[in-house]
Amino acid sequence: MSATAPDNPLPDNVLPKSVLPETVLEVSGLSFSYSTGRQALNNVRFTLARGEILGIVGPSGAGKSTLLLHLNGLLPQRPEPTRAATNGAAVHVAGLSVGAANLAEVRRRVGFLFQDPDDQLFCPTVREDVAFGPLNLGLPRAEVERRVIDSLAAVGLDGFEARSTLQLSLGERKRVCLAGVIACQPLVLALDEPFSNLDPRARRTLVDVLRRFEGSQIIATHDLDVVVELCHRVIVLDEGTIRADGAPATVLGDQALMDRHGLEVPLRLQLLRNGQP
Amino acid sequence: MIPVVNDSLARGPAARSPGYRLSPTLALGLSVAAITLGMLLPPTHLPSHAALVCVLLAALSLARVPFGMVARRLAIFLGFALLFAVSVPLSQGFRGGWEIAQGILFRGVESFLSGLWLVSVVPFDRLLATLRRLGVPTILVAILAFMYRFLFVLWKELDTMRAARRARTFDQAGLIFRWRNSAQMIGMLLIRSLGRSERVYGAMCARGWDGTVRTLDE
Repeated sequence: MSATAPDNPLPDNVLPKSVLPETVLEVSGLSFSYSTGRQALNNVRFTLARGEILGIVGPSGAGKSTLLLHLNGLLPQRPEPTRAATNGAAVHVAGLSVGAANLAEVRRRVGFLFQDPDDQLFCPTVREDVAFGPLNLGLPRAEVERRVIDSLAAVGLDGFEARSTLQLSLGERKRVCLAGVIACQPLVLALDEPFSNLDPRARRTLVDVLRRFEGSQIIATHDLDVVVELCHRVIVLDEGTIRADGAPATVLGDQALMDRHGLEVPLRLQLLRNGQP
Repeated sequence: MIPVVNDSLARGPAARSPGYRLSPTLALGLSVAAITLGMLLPPTHLPSHAALVCVLLAALSLARVPFGMVARRLAIFLGFALLFAVSVPLSQGFRGGWEIAQGILFRGVESFLSGLWLVSVVPFDRLLATLRRLGVPTILVAILAFMYRFLFVLWKELDTMRAARRARTFDQAGLIFRWRNSAQMIGMLLIRSLGRSERVYGAMCARGWDGTVRTLDE
């Protein structure tokens, strides 16, 4: 399944040596069809190590978001019209199978960032929204308050507690959403198109925030340059099937593979290949 | 950027008004008192209702709410209030019920102005916190919070759709075409709202929501 490229112009991002190769997420033979009959995922299998950042790339409709929704148990339990058949418990988070019986714990372990921050921000103030997850965990008020402050500091929004969620820029809204997820202290972050519609500065800020996060991450994105920069590994998903799995510079540098799956070799790799810094 | 509705009156000019310095509890109390007074006044006694409306307009003026804004919102409200008020005489074949209609209209306007003053001098999040502190059921406060939050999101969506429509109608559309188009747009907005509600529900579940509303202020 791994892709190989003849020339690898960029050294791959590697996990720090201090990181143990412990599997925190295992997806084994996951298939899923929507009620319309469309097969969204087909025998998807991969693992994620502690501290690893995994990029999921592929054309629109490849199944990236569907895959992420399974990690948090939002699929297949969601109501109509997206209710559909799946092939049993095929996802494990730190040894715990994702299923109706374990949903609360699974959702504590896997934090999900939605593509549109307006789907995720529903409280009047930043403080209340970031506190939503920790309160649902049943934490004491003092601990919740501490987590709100720490999470906002982690995303570079210190002092935003009292701000109205209506008065934030898109970049700020995305970071508040991320703070709300981080406040639950998940093992794994599942991020659905986190960089979409962001201006360069907001995108750079978000990349830096994610780089500082110590847990594992799965990032579904069309921003292949960020994948090269941030991810330790990348999976190419197309028509619900994994087409390649390997180091970003190797996989995304494979012109033929990129062409086959409606993607482009990232500009960063193209420039390096052409001998430009 | 397509302009959207003012996200909160209380963060605009009213934030520099004397009313803004009132405690949210007192502001809420005054607002409820004005509504109650309107209810207690005889429905057809025009001078007393006119006096109350004048007091409320003066309060709005003190709160530095632009008169144009009050007039526009009142006009929208009056459309619905009139429809509701007229339904009473209509149900009696216009042979009676005018007193009730008058009462509905006066009290409706007074309640509307009173509510407008309240949200002008108290930021909505502080108002919600006050309601919670005063023992209003959490689920009711949560519904208000949701309504307030997503009103602006949906308004923005509607604005985007209207801009997209305008961009493709080239000022040649007739009245019937515009009505048909507006009906389609409202239908589309409803579908988008349903999609949005499902995604919001998913986002809540993703952060451990189990059907119980918990807040920091409890």
